[in-house]
Amino acid sequence: MAPAETSNALLRDRYGSLIAALQGAVDANDDTAFRGAFDKLRESLSAEFMPELKRLTASAESALARFRERARIDALADQEVPDARKRLAHVVQLTDEAAHRTLDLVEKSGPLVEQQAREAAELLEAWSVYGDREYAANSLWPERTLSFLERSLTDADRVRSLLSEMLMAQGYQDITGQIIRSVISLVGEIEDVLGQLVALSNGEDTRRMPTLRVPAADQKSMQSGLGPQIPGVSSPGEAVSGQDDIDALLASMAGGG
Amino acid sequence: MSNAMKFLVVDDFSTMRRIVKNCLQELGYTDITEADDGNTALPLLKNGAFEFLITDWNMPGMPGLELLKAVRSDAKLSKLPVLMLTAEAKREQIIEAAQAGVSGYVIKPFTAVTLKEKIDKILASKAAA
Repeated sequence: MAPAETSNALLRDRYGSLIAALQGAVDANDDTAFRGAFDKLRESLSAEFMPELKRLTASAESALARFRERARIDALADQEVPDARKRLAHVVQLTDEAAHRTLDLVEKSGPLVEQQAREAAELLEAWSVYGDREYAANSLWPERTLSFLERSLTDADRVRSLLSEMLMAQGYQDITGQIIRSVISLVGEIEDVLGQLVALSNGEDTRRMPTLRVPAADQKSMQSGLGPQIPGVSSPGEAVSGQDDIDALLASMAGGG
Repeated sequence: MSNAMKFLVVDDFSTMRRIVKNCLQELGYTDITEADDGNTALPLLKNGAFEFLITDWNMPGMPGLELLKAVRSDAKLSKLPVLMLTAEAKREQIIEAAQAGVSGYVIKPFTAVTLKEKIDKILASKAAA
């Protein structure tokens, strides 16, 4: 006999007489008998299916518990996602500062270059008016030119220094890039967690799911690098306050042998 | 002023490599090679007769600390000046880098003046040794 037929036969044996009694009470229009037969049928169904229902509930609960443990879902929700928001806010601040610093430097350089160009044009125009070198040599032209060349030298130095500052201002891309990379890793982990949550809701066994891949931020190794310090985001160990602090630390180590 | 000293600059961000390269060129150093992590830097160092290494710490592949240790454990490279240029800011890390034999440590963001000072200091102490 096929399994479905066996199962049907069992159900018929178990419930056939109860259903017949129920049908008999309906046919006889006997309310008391109907209530009695109905209660018996309900008790019988509960006795058969409640243990299975309890087992299924427990299984779903333990799958969820396993999932929470594997997915570090509490750490993600409580700390890492809020931290990621702080990281990204810090990126916005750094890019804003770097852009303003660069624009300030461009605005400082522009007038210096414009002034040079204007004075050079004026001198060239004056030269063309004089037309005669000897006449020009006896005019104010040589003095004006000398003064222009001296100013040019100073202004060129100033522009070179401003360009150098612009160059250094681009260092924000390295710092923000490192921060954004760490957030990309976190988003990757959240993507995996969401995928596993969907699988869990479809009744898949979490024990067969791959372990989620990204280590917690505080488990990242000092050896491989923790990335830049972010205001308001804690990380292991004590940070130095700046270059002077580092120089003092290294000097104290050298001094201490 | 031009100086033929051979530099290797290691950083996974090309923008930072360009910044360091430009700084070095302003200081008169013209022979500058770039690498994007320790794995690409180490073979270059072993074959390249470099005289100065500037490296980031946090890089995919081989991080800077591991590169430093590899350099110090290689008989041919062990005396190479190594300047760490990094955003890593924990006291523990700086101590570890010092114990691993780093020649100088500059924290990002940095200034061109700081970079020059540290390079000069390293070269001065190397000359005195």
